[in-house]
Amino acid sequence: MDAIEAENLTKYFGELLAVDHVNFQVKKGEIFGFLGPNGAGKTTTIRMLTTLARPTEGTARVAGYDVLNEPLRAKQHFGVVPEVSNVYDELSVWNNLMFAGEIYGMSKTERRRRSDELLSLLALADHRDKKARHLSKGLKRKLVLGMALVNSPEILFLDEPSSGLDVTSTRTMRDIIRQFAQRGMTVFLTTHNIEEANLLCDRVAIIVKARIVAIDSPENLKMALDASRSVEIAFKKVPPSLQDWLKASEIVNAVRKEGDKWKVFTSNPSEFLDALVGYVGREKANLLSVNTLGPSLEDVFVSLVMDEGKGGG
Amino acid sequence: MDLASSDVRTRPTRNLTAAWAVARKDMRIYYLRPGNLMFGVLFPIFLFFSFAVGRDLPAVILIPGLTAMAMFFGSSSTGAMAIPTERRTKTYERLLVAPISPISILLGQTLGGFIFGAVFAAVPIALGLAWFDMSVANPLVLVLAIAMSSFAFSALGIMFAALPSENPGDVMMLLNFVRLPLLFVSGIFIALDDVGDIGLALAAISPLTYSNDLLKWAVGGTSYFSPAVDVLGIVLFSVIFLALALWLHERARKSDRMVGKRKRAKEAASA
Repeated sequence: MDAIEAENLTKYFGELLAVDHVNFQVKKGEIFGFLGPNGAGKTTTIRMLTTLARPTEGTARVAGYDVLNEPLRAKQHFGVVPEVSNVYDELSVWNNLMFAGEIYGMSKTERRRRSDELLSLLALADHRDKKARHLSKGLKRKLVLGMALVNSPEILFLDEPSSGLDVTSTRTMRDIIRQFAQRGMTVFLTTHNIEEANLLCDRVAIIVKARIVAIDSPENLKMALDASRSVEIAFKKVPPSLQDWLKASEIVNAVRKEGDKWKVFTSNPSEFLDALVGYVGREKANLLSVNTLGPSLEDVFVSLVMDEGKGGG
Repeated sequence: MDLASSDVRTRPTRNLTAAWAVARKDMRIYYLRPGNLMFGVLFPIFLFFSFAVGRDLPAVILIPGLTAMAMFFGSSSTGAMAIPTERRTKTYERLLVAPISPISILLGQTLGGFIFGAVFAAVPIALGLAWFDMSVANPLVLVLAIAMSSFAFSALGIMFAALPSENPGDVMMLLNFVRLPLLFVSGIFIALDDVGDIGLALAAISPLTYSNDLLKWAVGGTSYFSPAVDVLGIVLFSVIFLALALWLHERARKSDRMVGKRKRAKEAASA
């Protein structure tokens, strides 16, 4: 049995089609990413899976329970980290955790044990008696995660888990998610951060304009886009003829300037490197670095979004 | 949809525990909020004294009226403050994704207002006993009247909090449109004997009428309606308010989602 199954999941808001016949399965213990641009339907999907929104069509099963017909049973098996850190600002860190446990029907002893465990796991023990309003954004995010984990759920839903966090907090949040996944928890996360999906997820579904356009592991998605292999080059001083030379080259598909580097997309990197060596010699240019790159998940994402944009008008 | 689940019927203890947890959380967070203190405590006291001073009313009329008003404003303000605030901070969704039924959530929030109103009802009673040398004819009925009235008024506030707004002021304003007129037709400032047929018909549709009348009977031993009618009236209003609250909150949830979705769609379109 899969941890999460969605079958033709569809949501209309009046005339607006927010999620269009979405199908996917998430295996137990998997980190599954839902990647898409803003407004693609990620949050609506997660809201349907967590019983906050009722699907217009289709069904979803979470932990084997139909979210429409057995919502309370389904809710017993998952925790939710929403995009907004919804902690009770007036309550202390400890009381937030205790309250979360109480509404999950845990006994006082069990709540205390679990809250102590989570405080130490999430490095929140020093802030135990601090009111949530006095926590930094990163600490609040950790507290929300703790509240979602208080009942030791089998499945964890995270909506944009690192949204608004600084680099250090983002890294910590990802480490914690990985740690829980390694213990066998199924993680379903939505993100518009491609790097996050690439670093965290076993499989990624890319959703564009309410429809899933691809589902696979990040590496398989990248391999499917072989034409987007690239060579990244940087010069100490960029030769004036560089752009014209790149434009004239038949093996160059596209060129993108990224900071002080040039990313040259080609289906034949080795032939391009031969040509580049010749060009550098002729122009007596001072080449600083050359890197051959496979397509990134970002390339895959952009390609799919653009294809969908053309198809969808 | 959650209500149809068998879990709700087979796990009443769990739902009651959850309701109590919600009530205690509301007590900790919302009781000392300025809006609650203003509308729930200061406003009814000042309004009452502005009418009572200089009219030489006996304590058996004055104290039940003041008690009923304190509960009416106090109990109904708590949910009206708490729910929109929780919508804004998204903590309301925390309750909605927990394995508890919607009725438990609303019951918990009603309990929060009920305790707030009941505690503040004790203030005018204590004032009457200590200052006006008032005696209570039926102490048990007094406790019953306070408990039942406070619950009914709290459910009224919860019902109005179904207005899909994230601003407590919006709910309070709508609630006051109803609370203030009811105040003048419920026999507090003008006795029911003097209001005439139309006045009496209006009084009959106000929960405050039955609360004030039952309190008068508990304190002074006399009332306009019989205590049985008053009890029935308060119970009936409690059931109506709770049932409507449940129905309206489910509708409001849908409209909340629409607001959020439209906002997101607009953001996506402009990106």
